[in-house]
Amino acid sequence: MTSLNKMSPDQEGVVASIDGDTRFLSRITSIGLTPGCKVKVIKNDKGRPILVFLRDTLVALNNKECERILVEERSN
Amino acid sequence: MVDGKITIALLGQPNSGKSTLFNGLTGLKQHVGNWPGKTVEKKQGSFTHNGMEYIVTDLPGTYSLSANSDEEIVTRDYIASGNADVVCILADSSQLERSMFMLADFAGIDVPCFLVLNLADVAKDQGKNIDPKKIESKIGIPVILMSATDVKKYDSFFECMEKALKDKTKLDYSSLEKGYETVEGYSDLKTIISDGLVEGYSSTWLCAKAVEGDKVVRAKIENALSGEKKASYEKTIKTLDKGALSTGECKFAWIDEILDGSVNKVETSVKMGKFDRAITSKTWGKLVVVLVVIGGLLLSFIPALPIMLLGGCVTMLDEPIRTALTNANASPILIGIICDCLLMCIANTVKMLGFAFGITLVFGMFEESGIMARISYVFDNTMSKMGLQGKSVMPFLVSFGCTIGGASSSRVIDNWGQKILTIALAWAVPCGAAWAIIPMLATSFFGGYGVLVIVAILVVMIIHIWITSKIFGRHLVKKEDRYGIIMELPPYHKPKWKSLLRYVFGRTKDMFFRVIKVIIPVCLVFWFLSYSSIGVEGSVLYKVGTFIEPVTKFFGLSWQLFMAFIASSIGKEGAVGVLTALFSQTGTIFGAVAGSNEAVANSTQLLINNISGPQALAFMFAITFNMPCVVALAATYQETHSAKWTTLITLYYEASALILAFLAYHVGLLIM
Repeated sequence: MTSLNKMSPDQEGVVASIDGDTRFLSRITSIGLTPGCKVKVIKNDKGRPILVFLRDTLVALNNKECERILVEERSN
Repeated sequence: MVDGKITIALLGQPNSGKSTLFNGLTGLKQHVGNWPGKTVEKKQGSFTHNGMEYIVTDLPGTYSLSANSDEEIVTRDYIASGNADVVCILADSSQLERSMFMLADFAGIDVPCFLVLNLADVAKDQGKNIDPKKIESKIGIPVILMSATDVKKYDSFFECMEKALKDKTKLDYSSLEKGYETVEGYSDLKTIISDGLVEGYSSTWLCAKAVEGDKVVRAKIENALSGEKKASYEKTIKTLDKGALSTGECKFAWIDEILDGSVNKVETSVKMGKFDRAITSKTWGKLVVVLVVIGGLLLSFIPALPIMLLGGCVTMLDEPIRTALTNANASPILIGIICDCLLMCIANTVKMLGFAFGITLVFGMFEESGIMARISYVFDNTMSKMGLQGKSVMPFLVSFGCTIGGASSSRVIDNWGQKILTIALAWAVPCGAAWAIIPMLATSFFGGYGVLVIVAILVVMIIHIWITSKIFGRHLVKKEDRYGIIMELPPYHKPKWKSLLRYVFGRTKDMFFRVIKVIIPVCLVFWFLSYSSIGVEGSVLYKVGTFIEPVTKFFGLSWQLFMAFIASSIGKEGAVGVLTALFSQTGTIFGAVAGSNEAVANSTQLLINNISGPQALAFMFAITFNMPCVVALAATYQETHSAKWTTLITLYYEASALILAFLAYHVGLLIM
């Protein structure tokens, strides 16, 4: 298990848990990121948002906020 | 129904092709305004079909119907209030699972609706086969698979819409409700909250939002309840935590259930092309963005130039009209108003429209094609420090060329507060007109040291932007509204020129009247202030200027410089002309602004003889950081739809320019 912001490009996994205030949870679920959702990290540069592919969609997420998203890694 | 017209509301997430459908339906018949009391843009249009007139409300593109932003609250309040006869919910067929979230979040609002699965062409290219009939049988509302870009095939859309209106089809969400029942606290709330406790919403919707921790809904429920029910409601609410996650899972489980058997499973992936790798590159990304924006700016001149030339032609009417009026023995005041003032206003407005037209078209294309989202990604970190989105970088870059273009390009910023803040900050960027004057003045007065003036101006610009972002940012983008980016990077789409052109044309027409409404009064007032029948001395401006000279001297501005400063609000290009006119006592102030004065030889020498070094320094800072020009003011008003904020920004810049002049003058006195 690792947090999403520590994952490197091309790494895949399944979201295990998400933590944060109501606003964050509501925003992150509305873009499709929920527990059980498959994710693939596309780009993770320092000082830039993380690019994640989920539910057919490429999404940019704030790096710091991704600390609160835990992912069960899967080897591809 | 209002006056026999039917209202349909378009609801969908960003990138679901909502604007394309809106433009396809309404064509040139659209109007942009504000939602009453809210800082959210309201787009409405109309069309006729089968002899019926329809009003289309394009609701703000948001990802959900929670209380995360004004946009979302406006959207759900509008739908729940029953203002729309039918809601058209859009989803993106190529990202069906994710984009159907809006449908799931809508479930429980008691209004007739139908579902549009848009971007059918993209889904087909992905190898997806979608069966709308099957989806229809599961959710009980008409469903249509279409491409909003294909205007010729709107017939089936209209059929769907008419069916939804006739049968008042409501969404069947019983299966979603079963999911909700497994969520902690939901069933308890269900016994307390009844349908319509808050008008327009079912108990299912209210309970789900209460579980999610939606502050606005919770407060409304609490207000509507009393006694024992209120107490047990408050007790239940207290035990809930992270409800948004649980209901989110339910919503996606429901979507999966709908799509199961209705769509074939296709594994999609994302490929980063060459351009994508370049623009998102850690090393080159920012440079690529700057180049792309500059390229866009240059490109925008292609559609802009013909219109701008047309504006130039208006000025050619000056002579024949002047001669005709003189021959008809018209009073010089009338000739002045018509030729110097009105004609210049119209010419400038047309020129500005041409420029705004080009900018809106090119940057609209950036947005539609998906480039804008990449720009946002690259500059997110930098701009979020000022409370702005990454794409706010664009108006800043464009403003180096022209603030009018900067204001126009802020159209793509989807949050109103951030949009105003962006424009307010972009005003601090010295525009092309300032760059045309300042280096010339700087080198005339200070020779090689002139470079230092330019450097100082750039440094002051950065500090100015930073301070202004603190002053305005607090009110426009509240602290609790500043959060990290959560944004979709849509796949690249070929821009749909036709619908884009139609939209931009419609907007430009609207703009003409709005802009001219601002420019003419401002110029008229200035014209009257500067009018004189006996040379400069007869004008009000002269009397006021010389009267308050003891005060303006404090800022390093003699009465002549102060007048040129005031004139530079109309247009910076005119500032030097005004000085020349005043010092050489030829021509008129307004003529200098309008550029109709005769050229004076050796004007530089004239300035050096009459202005001291510190004064020149003060003047340069004053006009650089003054409001950009009256047309930029109008463009700002056009984009923000707010007279209040446009006025505030203007006054702020006039005042801060004087403060900067004061500082520059006194620094100048110390070092020279």
